[in-house]
Amino acid sequence: MVLEVTAKNLNVKDPAKAELFKATKTWFEIGLDLDGDMRYGAWQIKETIDLTLPPKNTQQERYIMNFDTDVEEVLVEAKLYYYISGGKGDVIHSVSKTLSYDVD
Amino acid sequence: MRIYPTMKIFAILAVAMFALVQTSMAKEADTIDELVAMFDDSKCAECHEQVYKEWQNSWHSKAIVSSLKGMRNFIAVGLAKEWNTPVTKAEVLKCLDCHAPAVNYASEKLAKELAGLIVTSFDKKDTDEGKKAKAQLARLNVGCYSCHHIKATEVAKGLRGEPKKGVIYTGSDVDAGDAHESIQTVDITRSVFCMQCHGVYKAPDGETIKCNTLSGSYQNTYQNHGGSQTCQECHMKKGHLFPGGHDIETVTEGLGFNVEIAQYQHLPGKIAGVKDKKKWVPSAVVNAFIENKTGHRVPDG
Repeated sequence: MVLEVTAKNLNVKDPAKAELFKATKTWFEIGLDLDGDMRYGAWQIKETIDLTLPPKNTQQERYIMNFDTDVEEVLVEAKLYYYISGGKGDVIHSVSKTLSYDVD
Repeated sequence: MRIYPTMKIFAILAVAMFALVQTSMAKEADTIDELVAMFDDSKCAECHEQVYKEWQNSWHSKAIVSSLKGMRNFIAVGLAKEWNTPVTKAEVLKCLDCHAPAVNYASEKLAKELAGLIVTSFDKKDTDEGKKAKAQLARLNVGCYSCHHIKATEVAKGLRGEPKKGVIYTGSDVDAGDAHESIQTVDITRSVFCMQCHGVYKAPDGETIKCNTLSGSYQNTYQNHGGSQTCQECHMKKGHLFPGGHDIETVTEGLGFNVEIAQYQHLPGKIAGVKDKKKWVPSAVVNAFIENKTGHRVPDG
């Protein structure tokens, strides 16, 4: 599961240049064998390092963004992705807000 | 003269032993056809059409063919290369006791054949041979009999004993008439029933197999924080479809997402690298709150 938070300059058309901020947080587990080596095989894994989101738990992630002094309009988006097979991520929740700044 | 009664007893015992061996041998299927016939789930559809349709669309119905990679690696890498251990029924059951519980009733020969089919269906998936192997394996799964008979008494074997021949164990009080004998059991409605397989699997020889660890977080975190819902209460909302991590609607329902985006202007001269140090700096603070509303950790793999 991945939280992705981005900020894009709405006055820049080139998507590659429009991105002002990007941060991600991943919840996952690491399967270990008895030597402490990371493993994928169910027969190999004897212990785990648990970096998942526990039940009955709310986690807070906080990001501060400072843009350049000539940035007037920004789209901030937060998306929560769920990866069922490791390859394809589905957006399960998304929140966005457009911010306008007076740069004069 | 006195030898005759003794011989008679021996003869009776020998016949009884032979019959016993024959009976136990008869319990083991030598072919996939025989095994499927022993636990023919299609019979269930005659009366339970809707439930059967739900199950057909569930991951339980494809419990082997959806997990071929992991099982192939256990056989071809784990057993063959890492453990240097021959393929036996006991080893195959470390996967199939959960992925196809009927295999408990397979002969040693059939269990080994199944292991071969698993490797072939994955390694040769684009060939006719691989496709045929997969089609055969698709006939085995976590079917009606798996939960309602084979595994029905497993969580309280000492109290319940072995499942009774021909009996269907159910969570509700339903009279099936002449179709089959039913026994109502609370066991099948409890989380511990699902945990037989949806948790760390402990093989009879003591080996632990960690396909997933759902049961650990359910018992040690969810229940310890006051959670009391069962697996069935959430995962049987759509009946025998058993939606879970593969169902986007279920995943979305299980995770809360609250995001607050606050806009502000940072003091001039306090942020390095901006174009004009004398100007206010456009800024924002994002607070995201992600809530796990399920009964287990997320994700679990």
